[in-house]
Amino acid sequence: MTGEPAIVVDNLSFAYPGGIRALEEIRLEVQHGESVGLIGPNGAGKTTLFLCLAGVLSIPPGKAKVAGLDPAVKDQRKRLPAQVGVVFQNSDDQLFSTTVADDVAFGPLNLGLAKDEVRGRVAESLDRVGLKGFDERVPHHLSGGEKRRAALAGVLAMRPAILLLDEPSMFLDPRGRRELIGLLKTLGGTKIIASHDLDMMLDLCDRVVLLDRGRIVATGLTGELLKDEALLSAHGLEVPYRLRPAN
Amino acid sequence: MTLALNFPLRVESPISRMDARWRLASILPAAMIVACLRAWPAVLAALAGALVLAILARLSARWCLARLFGTALFLLFFVIWLPLFPLRGEETVNFFGLALSPQGLERAGVILGKGLTIVTLILVLLAVSPLPETLKAAHALYVPGLMIQLALLTFRYIFLLAEEFVRLRTALRVRGFRSRANLLSYRTAAHAAGTLLVRGHERAERVGHAMRCRGFDGVFRSLGEFRTRAWDVIGFVLIATTALAILAVDIMH
Repeated sequence: MTGEPAIVVDNLSFAYPGGIRALEEIRLEVQHGESVGLIGPNGAGKTTLFLCLAGVLSIPPGKAKVAGLDPAVKDQRKRLPAQVGVVFQNSDDQLFSTTVADDVAFGPLNLGLAKDEVRGRVAESLDRVGLKGFDERVPHHLSGGEKRRAALAGVLAMRPAILLLDEPSMFLDPRGRRELIGLLKTLGGTKIIASHDLDMMLDLCDRVVLLDRGRIVATGLTGELLKDEALLSAHGLEVPYRLRPAN
Repeated sequence: MTLALNFPLRVESPISRMDARWRLASILPAAMIVACLRAWPAVLAALAGALVLAILARLSARWCLARLFGTALFLLFFVIWLPLFPLRGEETVNFFGLALSPQGLERAGVILGKGLTIVTLILVLLAVSPLPETLKAAHALYVPGLMIQLALLTFRYIFLLAEEFVRLRTALRVRGFRSRANLLSYRTAAHAAGTLLVRGHERAERVGHAMRCRGFDGVFRSLGEFRTRAWDVIGFVLIATTALAILAVDIMH
């Protein structure tokens, strides 16, 4: 591992076809092993930033380095899935296989691993997210929390150094959310978590980055930035319940 | 309303014990042979053979008959006209005041029999193992991965699409919409269909992103592994021989 950060974004701008500006001059560094929260209102550009970092959306060369790889360079982009795991907002978009085991095996098979190795990883990942014995279950029939954990297992099976989690607590009931937070706490590695769930950020992130209209507005330690009522309110967010002064 | 594909509970049977590749490689060509038959004795033999296969596969009689009944009704709509409109030069017989063509009747029977036989064979294929396993077997038999991937994704997302359709319908109904034979209803139905299409497209885009993030490069890969045993070969030979014998009977007729 070199001394450079796990993720470096240098003056990255991105516009969708049709001219909609989604990201404007983003500068961001995330160190190895760090958990960073990405907060902001709807349409702030959180998902777009993830898709750029994962090499799904095309960006100009030299604007980002993820695990030392430039998503804009074809040869390096091909190696990104082994290094970066993305958990999408809607698990139904991510669980596209007909059984849970097939879905978890999808990534490792694409990495070119031997079938025995893939089977081992499937069993290990399902065990890790608490879905042991779910191998032959149909994703469509899982609960919201189970789907989210199955999606996470599919990413963990690829053993990425960096995890990008897009609204991981969305669509989950309180129990599912609590279980997921517990699970995410056990995961090592570098993480960026995009969410509106600021209470969850307090549990999982050392640092948060506030994004609005494609620009980074503020960055700081989680406990401190999330106390700033004026700042959060100006960007469509609220101080998390735990940090509100007692009534 | 539901679009759920209801498969019966899978039970152990000589057919389900066959390797999915051998099963597919014997039953699918047999269905193709049935489609080529022309004479009713051969069709009757094929139908009997397919029913024996369904019994061997221990298919639920109720599940199977319900589908065969639906197929028969559907086919009847098309073949009922054949005895009523004889081809030039064909003899007719009087049946309660209707001039019916015996040859037309035979043609109708052949088509109906072939349809029922093919559907029975397909039901056997669908019921004895999960569809994904059958599709993976097809891939192992060199059906292009793209086709398999499309079929698997369709199978996976048809339920979600159906749910979205139900949600749309509920949303329309709670706002007082009732489907009637008028312009407003047609327009609303078209808007609903358009919305489904757009949502489907957006979902497809997101699924594509998720696949690319997990290293998908257009090649279908599967964990499925198949192993040939003696029973697979015996089953294959039995089904293939029967199908070829029936074809021979048809050619000689």
